[in-house]
Amino acid sequence: MKILLVDDESDFRETLLKRMKRRNIDVEGADSGEAALEWLKQNHADVVILDVSMPGMNGIETLQAIKRHYPVIEVIMLTGHASMEVAIEGMELGAFDYLLKPMDMDELLYKAEDAFKIKTIHETKIQRMAKTVA
Amino acid sequence: MPNRDCADVTPVRHSLCLVRPCRQAKRERRSVIMVLALWKRFSDWLNSDDVAANAMDANTLRLEFQDRYHHFKLLLASNNRALELMTELEKALEGHTPFSMKFVRSRTTRIYTRVYQMVTHLEHLAPGRYKALAPTLESLHKKLESLINPPLETDLSETFIIHFSALDRRHSDQAGMKMAGLADAANHLNIRIPDGFVITAHACRFFLAHQDLKAEIHRRMQRAEEGGDGAHQFYTLSADIRGLIEKAPLPAELGAAILGGYQALTRRYGGTPPNVAVRSSALNEDQEGISFAGIYDSALNVSEDQLIRTYKQILATAYSPSVLVYRLNRGLADFDTEMCVGVMEMIDAVSGGVMYSVNPMEIRDTAVTINSVWGLPKAVVDGTVETDLFRVSRTPHLAISHRVIGRKDQKYICGPDEGVRRMDETGSERFSPSLTDDQVLALAKMAIRIEDYFGAPQDIEWAIDKKGDIVLLQCRPLQIVPSRDTTSIEANTGLPPAFYHGGTTASPGVAAGPVRRVLKDADALRFPKGAILVTDRALARWAALLPPAVAIVSEKGSLTGHLANVAREFKTPALFGATGAVEKLTDGMMITVDADTGRIYEGVVDTLLEMDHRFEDHFLMKGTPVFSVLERAAALITPLTLTHPDSPVFKAENCKTLHDITRFCHEKSVHEMFRFGKTHRFPERSSKQLHAEIPMQWWVLNLDDGFREDVVDDSFVDISNIISVPMLALWRGITAFPWEGPPPVDGKGFMSVMFQATQNKALVPTVKSSMANRNYFMISKNYCSLQSRLGFHFAITEALVSHRSTENYISFQFKGGAADFDRRLKRVVFIKEILEHYGFRTEVATDSLRARLEQHRAQTMIAKLKILGFLTIHTRQLDMIMVNSKLVEHYRSQLMERIETLLAEPAVNTTEKKLHVDTYQP
Repeated sequence: MKILLVDDESDFRETLLKRMKRRNIDVEGADSGEAALEWLKQNHADVVILDVSMPGMNGIETLQAIKRHYPVIEVIMLTGHASMEVAIEGMELGAFDYLLKPMDMDELLYKAEDAFKIKTIHETKIQRMAKTVA
Repeated sequence: MPNRDCADVTPVRHSLCLVRPCRQAKRERRSVIMVLALWKRFSDWLNSDDVAANAMDANTLRLEFQDRYHHFKLLLASNNRALELMTELEKALEGHTPFSMKFVRSRTTRIYTRVYQMVTHLEHLAPGRYKALAPTLESLHKKLESLINPPLETDLSETFIIHFSALDRRHSDQAGMKMAGLADAANHLNIRIPDGFVITAHACRFFLAHQDLKAEIHRRMQRAEEGGDGAHQFYTLSADIRGLIEKAPLPAELGAAILGGYQALTRRYGGTPPNVAVRSSALNEDQEGISFAGIYDSALNVSEDQLIRTYKQILATAYSPSVLVYRLNRGLADFDTEMCVGVMEMIDAVSGGVMYSVNPMEIRDTAVTINSVWGLPKAVVDGTVETDLFRVSRTPHLAISHRVIGRKDQKYICGPDEGVRRMDETGSERFSPSLTDDQVLALAKMAIRIEDYFGAPQDIEWAIDKKGDIVLLQCRPLQIVPSRDTTSIEANTGLPPAFYHGGTTASPGVAAGPVRRVLKDADALRFPKGAILVTDRALARWAALLPPAVAIVSEKGSLTGHLANVAREFKTPALFGATGAVEKLTDGMMITVDADTGRIYEGVVDTLLEMDHRFEDHFLMKGTPVFSVLERAAALITPLTLTHPDSPVFKAENCKTLHDITRFCHEKSVHEMFRFGKTHRFPERSSKQLHAEIPMQWWVLNLDDGFREDVVDDSFVDISNIISVPMLALWRGITAFPWEGPPPVDGKGFMSVMFQATQNKALVPTVKSSMANRNYFMISKNYCSLQSRLGFHFAITEALVSHRSTENYISFQFKGGAADFDRRLKRVVFIKEILEHYGFRTEVATDSLRARLEQHRAQTMIAKLKILGFLTIHTRQLDMIMVNSKLVEHYRSQLMERIETLLAEPAVNTTEKKLHVDTYQP
């Protein structure tokens, strides 16, 4: 499982990256929505963990762009405060789930695993369809 | 530009990773779009009922299973979380604990999003089948949004300080319930409290927003959360954050407001700047976190020049190590304590202390308990010195029933300039009572008035000033810590000895009535009005009995389950976890259930029933705007109107609340998940024949992780290679006893079988190549679907067994037979009775039987599956003897005896190889 963590707060992002890597999780960081999309052009990710409030492209815009270009990637949204609007909008746009910051590390990883599992299943189905089409 | 990532991936992977310069990826990307368009049609097809007609290949079947299984599990997880959150809302609705608007918003949002997820997952399991859910959900969304989002009137106010005389409970969201409640009681009950004011939540937010202080605190908490290096980190982090807050400059306008409030106090004090007590009054977000209300500090006898510094210190106590441990361990993110702070004149007490309006160990003991010392009440609060103890009974009239005068060697007094001093007491005063009898009675009277006003037992701090007047310092709901020692309680309360003591309160209250045990559906049909429902498990279906039942006693059940929710909604007392109740309580026995204390009394205990009505319609939060928002939001969330899944109104379009939707989604997801075996034909080629040293043919298809090791080049799989928990349990039941062959058949039975066989081709088990005649398992580690055709009957068992008991489930269907309809029906009823005896819920329609069992622990599920495995083998051809009542009895007792033997054996031993199953095939 490859995770991309997108958050503009460098303290938050770097410590989370460090801690995930300590658990042998393959994870990369990006400091903005734009950087994330640029990274995804060159690299592969299974799950994107995405902060909702970022300067520039915000989380919802980034989510939309990711889902448009890479529909199979699962996205988990992070929000700083309980906002029903953002949570619902995100999930309606295809986010897998949302979590409140600062979140429990285990919970985040469970969610990422669940998202990865769903993604793998969907991906396999698509691959099989691709074969049929070919 | 060549890309290294492309070199060694599979062609299909190129299209997914969308590597820009890779030409192959570009080509494939086009096909991805086409594939995605086909995807929906494909998944629609996958999920359609027609699928049974198209035997799938094994890989498609595996994928389909994994997809459904995963969505199903996610749906269950959302369901559990949604119900837990609803329970929190209901607890808040009881109104005895303070909460703020933020609590209402965050809980509502979380519940809504969990329910939204359930609907999404159900849509995956059955696309388009429950379309009516979406508009219901959307309309609830709109209503909830309009309720919780407009700012409250009190939110609009941006005052930094509010004087006590202008404060009441409606300001709980600005002043914290501790200060709002204190001022409310004082203003309404004419009780004297110290002069003073509260620094509001708005002030706290304003301070923390200043210079990005809050963002910095969050960053540090996050870093610590990720650091995770032991307990000492909490001390380091706490010191770190407290330092940050205490050093941060107070915004000028806030400083001016606080000092302005203080100067007004000085003027009322005749110009001499008084020293003050500075006390925390947090807006508690977390209901369970209420218990650390006591953690937040108070600073006593603070002088003017220390006021601002002390204010910041009190704010910083929201980040004490114990609070941080609590927050970080629970991952409580939006749990930002907003600290309101009371500033009040310091009462230089002659004596002081703490009193409880009831016995804190026993809510039914209503004597007021007063602890008192000389000097400031601090000594009692800290528990540092021996105190005087008075107990004041309320009946027949207020009187001191008990007194112990302690040896009070030390006392706290106000320091001459500031702070408090501990003084050694050497004179005779230390042996004399710190209160006069009149003062004791006056205090008790005050405690009772405050308790009546707030509708809940109170924990009150008080002082006697130099003039001998009582001053109320703090009051808050009393945390009852129930004691298990009952003897003193009986002596103190005059209640009779309890017949039963145990369990936990699922819904509070007291009720009396005759016992009615409900263990199966048939019992429910005859449930009399006004009876007490006694059951072994708290099933949601018993919710339909709540209007007739006056109380519920259940041996098992979760406080967050449907039944507990409904019990609280109907205000029906409910005691769960009452082990042994079903055996101890017999039908018709008159009892009184005290769900608050976990006691059951024989007969009707009138004094107890009267006690229960004391607090009706009064409570702490009632009348606050926050509470009324919660009430209105909860009305759209927690009521359950769809109780019975078999009812004709159990439909998506009839869901009225979020609870209805969770119930509906849960029920339907189980239905959709456990018809997998029925709607998916078994792919013969990919299955393995079970190699189990028995000649009978059993086939196995591994859907996911049911095999220990993959079986590639072998058409057999050994039983030792199977790790499917439910399959192994069934297998144990199947192989536990040798089958003794068909029962002795009388001429009539035999003729009947022959006749049926000639009439019904499907019953002739001779077509060897057809899968219809094989017994096959479809398995994963925690899932198993068994289709068996033994003799002339047909059975499907589907089960999910894992350590998450809330997800565990068994569904069993049994149909057919060779005898005439009457005998087949008799056999079905025969099996039904055995299954009901073992706790299954059953249903018979024509000659088929359905049985269900859910949410037991894995060990219990395994035991029940053994029974099903056993019955699948040993009820073969029993239909033929069903008219012979002697034989029926013989077989019944033999089967039951063997089931008992089977259940008595230790956990499934999968290595046991000498398994006997006969080879007899009719």
